[in-house]
Amino acid sequence: MKTYVAKPADVERAWRVIDAEDMVLGRMAVEIADILRGKHKPTFSPHVDCGDFVIVVNAEKVHLTGNKRDGETFYWHTGWHGGVKGRTLGERLDGKHPERVVVKAVERMITRNPLGRQVMRKLKVYAGPDHPHEAQKPEPLDLAARNRKNKRAA
Amino acid sequence: MARVKRGTTSHARHKKVLKLAKGYRGRANNCYRIALERVEKALQYAYRDRRARKRDFRGLWIQRINAGARRHGLTYSRFMHGMKLAGVGLDRKILADLAVREPASFAKLCDRARSAVEKAA
Repeated sequence: MKTYVAKPADVERAWRVIDAEDMVLGRMAVEIADILRGKHKPTFSPHVDCGDFVIVVNAEKVHLTGNKRDGETFYWHTGWHGGVKGRTLGERLDGKHPERVVVKAVERMITRNPLGRQVMRKLKVYAGPDHPHEAQKPEPLDLAARNRKNKRAA
Repeated sequence: MARVKRGTTSHARHKKVLKLAKGYRGRANNCYRIALERVEKALQYAYRDRRARKRDFRGLWIQRINAGARRHGLTYSRFMHGMKLAGVGLDRKILADLAVREPASFAKLCDRARSAVEKAA
């Protein structure tokens, strides 16, 4: 008997919506990363993108535990001397693109290679409560029901 | 005794190595000295990975059983514990295959695992 190997053509992809309001960022990102990779399916194959699409709404209302709002800083370098810049998580959430906080949290849980980039393309994150994917008939996914620690009142 | 010219055997040896190096990147598929290094390393990897393959597949079966069990409200570890208590002797290869190809039988196994764990508790 040969072990089943998924082919890219036979992967069936569902669409899921997650409401990020009051969800703990890292806990939500773990669940999203698993769904994007397809680890929740018995047909999972590590070399094929087997995952589903994930839509995240209300990304600006995500919950950060502890001191992370002011204590956790995202750094980048401009390439110039003394060009190290940084923004705290709080500044990024209140800034122009709050959805990037969620994207980055998931991205850092996915391998950095061509397959990882392909997997990340299935993640759609929106700061507000609306998304333009109604045509795909996404099913809501209640992560709060999976573990009581996933959701915290602000 | 007939005169022997050199070259025939070494040509044959080079040909043998270059044949194994078909499809390699850069100069590794047409320069003998570089091809020899790559072929020797490739044979080492092949030897090692024939052994590693058994572990890799066991790992994959465990991931698939876990995914299947979680659909029925169990985790991998609880499911396997239940299998042991219920006296089901199927190995991970077969269990993973059932999870993929026979979801109905796998659901039955999950029920048996759950009831076995509850009975023991």
